[in-house]
Formats: sequence, structure tokens, C-alpha cells
Amino acid sequence: MRTRTATLPQTISPYHLGQRNRERLLNALAYGLLVLAIIVIFFPLAWMVTVSVRPNIEVMKMPPDWIPQVFTLQGYEKIFSNKKFLVVFLNTMMVSLMVTGLSLVLGAMAAYALARFKFIGQRAVLMFLITTQMFPLVLLCIPYFRIFITLGLYDTRTSLVIVYLTFTLPFCILMLRSYFLNIPRDIEEAAMVDGCSRLGAIFRTLIPMSYPAFIGAGLYTFLLAWNEFLFAVVLIESWENRVLTMAIYSLMAEFVTEWNTMMAFSVLASLPLVIAFIFLQRFMVQGMTAGALTS
Amino acid sequence: MTVLHTGAPPSRLVTAHKPANLSRTGGRSGIGRWTMLSLRRRYREEILAYSFLWPALLILVALLIYPLVDVIRLSFHDSNLQRETWVGFGNYAALLQDPLFWRSFGQTVIFTVFSVVLHLAIGLALALLLNMQINDTFRTLARGLLIVPWLLAPTVAGMIWVLMLAPFGVFNGLLVSVGVIDANASVSWLGDPSTALGSVTAMNVWRAFPFFMVMLLAGLQAVPKQLYEAAEIDGASLPRQFWHITLPQLRGVITTIVLLDSIWSFRAFDPVFVMTGGGPAHASEVLASAIYFDGFQKLRFGYASAEAVVMFVVLFTVSAIYVRRTMSNVS
Repeated sequence: MRTRTATLPQTISPYHLGQRNRERLLNALAYGLLVLAIIVIFFPLAWMVTVSVRPNIEVMKMPPDWIPQVFTLQGYEKIFSNKKFLVVFLNTMMVSLMVTGLSLVLGAMAAYALARFKFIGQRAVLMFLITTQMFPLVLLCIPYFRIFITLGLYDTRTSLVIVYLTFTLPFCILMLRSYFLNIPRDIEEAAMVDGCSRLGAIFRTLIPMSYPAFIGAGLYTFLLAWNEFLFAVVLIESWENRVLTMAIYSLMAEFVTEWNTMMAFSVLASLPLVIAFIFLQRFMVQGMTAGALTS
Repeated sequence: MTVLHTGAPPSRLVTAHKPANLSRTGGRSGIGRWTMLSLRRRYREEILAYSFLWPALLILVALLIYPLVDVIRLSFHDSNLQRETWVGFGNYAALLQDPLFWRSFGQTVIFTVFSVVLHLAIGLALALLLNMQINDTFRTLARGLLIVPWLLAPTVAGMIWVLMLAPFGVFNGLLVSVGVIDANASVSWLGDPSTALGSVTAMNVWRAFPFFMVMLLAGLQAVPKQLYEAAEIDGASLPRQFWHITLPQLRGVITTIVLLDSIWSFRAFDPVFVMTGGGPAHASEVLASAIYFDGFQKLRFGYASAEAVVMFVVLFTVSAIYVRRTMSNVS
């Protein structure tokens, strides 16, 4: 006779003890494996940080010193003393913020239309939006290159802001739409009965209520824009317009052996996202999940 | 009454009684003011919806549909940007006979298959561990730490791995320390044709598995607990519970993310471009990097466009499956 052990917490039967011990063993195993996984997966990141604080000669040592023998901030000094890098950080920040702002505003408008109205072509629009997320971006490079040269926008940060919308806007629309769908429309209607205009109702009820979706979509958009590389390679030529990813790549050619500088730069390039993530983890995970499960 | 489900009775009343609205449509020739008004009323939803939609739609059509048409047109031309000559299917014919194209195609498939399978395996294993009865704070902390590689730019991640895989890097250092290789015989993982593609794939696996982990964890947490309780009463072992409950319940999520990741890996550019540039001797070339080099270095824009169109056709087929799945969820 088997009974559910969970309902008999006081019973001390051999079976119960066995179950308990087995569960304990499994949990201990889970903790152990997770800690091991964290160590293995974190190793490259830890290595990036330790190399960034070593003198460069030490990096080339074979076999390597696992712990830095000499601590130095040379790499960081080189970056902070060179104006070029500041420009790159500012460019990336500006482009990413612009893209995020535009995607959220235009995305929220489109998402509202898709969530609140029934209209001709709605299915087609949705299908189009889902397809655009799957687009091979390298396909777009050649036409973009030609178009922006013709428009005189080649090698400008504006061109980056525009093209980044191709992959951030569909995501924002779909994510905000699914969030808006979950907010009952009665609330807006009540606001309109109380004398709000439609826009007033949107700004007073819908938008404040869906702030988690805005933070999630905004963060994810910011991440995509901050990390984008392909278009930055194709559309930007001069240093003053360069963004981080592109700068890191050209560093490899320029300072081919200065690994501590490169790793210092990599740490600095990753820091804003990691910090944002620490504080807004919940929304970020939501955004990540929503990107794929559009329902 | 199509107007009803806008659910806006107050504004409907306002429109009907507002004289301003009548006079605005009234003066038009041909259609009488009342016809115009009823047309407006009938298509009210459409007009409102598209007035919210048009900026985003306009941008996306201009940024996606126009370039797509342009790249298809260009693929039938011989072009170096200065001049264009019509060559019909010439580029495609050349492409199909180009061993380099087939090589990069094959390597893209290898890169994609290994990336997706390993992402799924590692992601599922970690999601299962995180879903066990562990301390909530520890769970959040572990999940947070394990996501970090996914936050990094592929360029940054690539750079870290270039450093680690270098002849003087930690991988060789590790192998020397355990005595597998001699200190003088260290391997140049990215410089050796037999290991270059594998190294790039390894970096991609490391960087992108958190996506699978997070999605699968969300999937696992949605599995009803009663199913496991029932299975326990029936005396089902853990592996059997996994096989008969967990996997079937996760099937939807797994199919979705596998499709998505296949598309993402198939079009991947950054890892290869940053770590090896497709080399040595094309040993790690994938389609995206081949298109870039053919277009922007050899300046064969027509040929590169033809390659891009082939890639598009492959991806579009996979996307079609994904879109069909997603759309059936949507409506």
C-alpha cells in the first residue's frame, strides 16, 4: 500500500525516510552541479577580468599564472586617457538610447492598434511582424550600403539608428501587444466615460499599467542595439562615428598584442548591461521570454 | 454593428452629434455628406487602427521590403556599385558551381546543428537543475549568473575566446598543466583548419545557451505539479517522469526555440567574423561571412546578392514553419 508521503509528514516509516534521503541526496547533487556549472561558465568572464588587470607580458606566459602576480590598471588607464574611446562610448550610448526611445514610442502605437482594434489586414500585419524577426540581416547589408550612400547618410550614426529599427521595432510591437491584450479594455472605457479622450485614457491607464512590458522591451532593445555589429561594420567608416563592437574589433588589429587593454575595454563595454541586468533582472527575463513566445 | 467591439459608446455618441465632423466631410463633391459619414463610421476601426500603425509599418516596409526587392534585382546583375550589367541567372549558375559556396553552406549547417543541439542539451540540463527544490535566493542568483554570457556582445565574447584559444592561452595552459600536451607543442585552435570551426561553435554555444535555459525554465515552471504527484503515486521513477511528463509538456517550447535558434545560428555573422574571419583557408567560413567578403571585399555585389537570396530562401522556409506555429497560437 503506497500513500502520498507528503500528506503524512509525521509518519516515520522506512519508506518515508528513504524518500527523504533520496530527495536530500538529489538536492545536494543539484547544488553541487549548479555550482560546478557556474564555475565553468563563469571562467571566461573571470579570465577577461583578471587579464584586464595584468601587465601585458604576464598574459603571454606559458603555462599561465592563474592568479595575477602583478596587479596593474595600465589597460584601463590607456582607455581613459585616450579620447577616442570616450567618443565610442558616447556614440554607442546615444545610438542605443535613440533606438530604444523610437522603438518604444512607435512600437507602443502599433501595439495599441493591434491589441485594441479589429481591422482589415490585421492577420497579415502580425504575420509580417513575426517574419521580419527571422530576416537574415546580412541580406540587407548590400542594399543599405547603396541606399545610404545615395542618401548621403553613409558613415553617420543616424544610419545606425534607422537600421537598428528593423530588428528592434517588430520585437517591441509584439511584446507590448501581448501585454496590452492582458489589460482589460474596460479600464480605458471607464476612463473615457469619465471624460477622458481616447489618448488621455491611454496615457492615464494603459501606459502606466504596462510599465513592466516597457522596461522589459526597452532593456532588450537596448541590449540588441548596444551589441549589434554587422551593420556597424558595413555602414560606419570613421572613428568619430564608431560604436563599441566595431571599436573592439578594430582594436584587435591596432593593438594586436595589448591583451590587457582589449580586455579592459571588453569589461567596460559589458558593464552597463550587466549593471542594468542586476537591478532589472525580473523585467529582462520577461523580455527574453516574450521575444519568442508571442501569444 | 462593427462599431460595438471598439467598446467606445461615449465617443460614438460624440461623433454622431458633433457638427464639426459633418461639415468636414460635407463639402466634398461626388459622395454626399451622409454617405461619407456612414463610410467613416463603417471603417472607423480601420482608420483609427492604421492611424496608429502607419509610422511603424512605413519604416518596416521601407527597411525590409524595399531592400529585399533590391537585393533580388541585384542578384541578376553583375555589379561593383559603379555599373550594373544584366546577367540573368549567371550569378546563380556560377554560385552552384562554386565549391567555396558549397563549403560555406555545409559549414553553416554544421555550425547550426551543433549550436542548436548543444544549446538545447546544456539549456535543458541547467533548467532541470534550477527547477529542483532548491533555495529561492540561490535559484535567482544562479539563474542571474548563468545568464551573463548572453548579455555580452558576440564581439566581446569572441574576443575573450580568441585570447583563451591562442597558442599562449588558457586552454593550452590547462592542457599543459594536466600533461596532455607539451609546453612547446601548444595548439593554435583558431589557426588550425581542423579546429577553427569547432572553436567558433564552442564560443557560440557558451554565449547563447542561457536563452534556452531561461525559456525551458519558464516552460518547466508551467508544468502542472499534479502530473508529477500522480506519477509518484503510480510509482514512476524520475527518468520515466522526465520522459513521459516533462518532455511532452515542454514539446511546444522546445520546438519554438529550436526553430528560432536554427534561424539565428544559420544567419550568424559576428562569431566567425571576429574570431577567424572565415579562415584559415575558409575552414570556418559560413554563409553570412562569405556574403560579406564577396560583397564588401571582392566588390562582387551581384554575386553576393545571389548568395544572400539563396540564404533568404532557406531561412524563409524555416520561418514559414515558425510563423505558422506562432500564428495558430495568436488567433
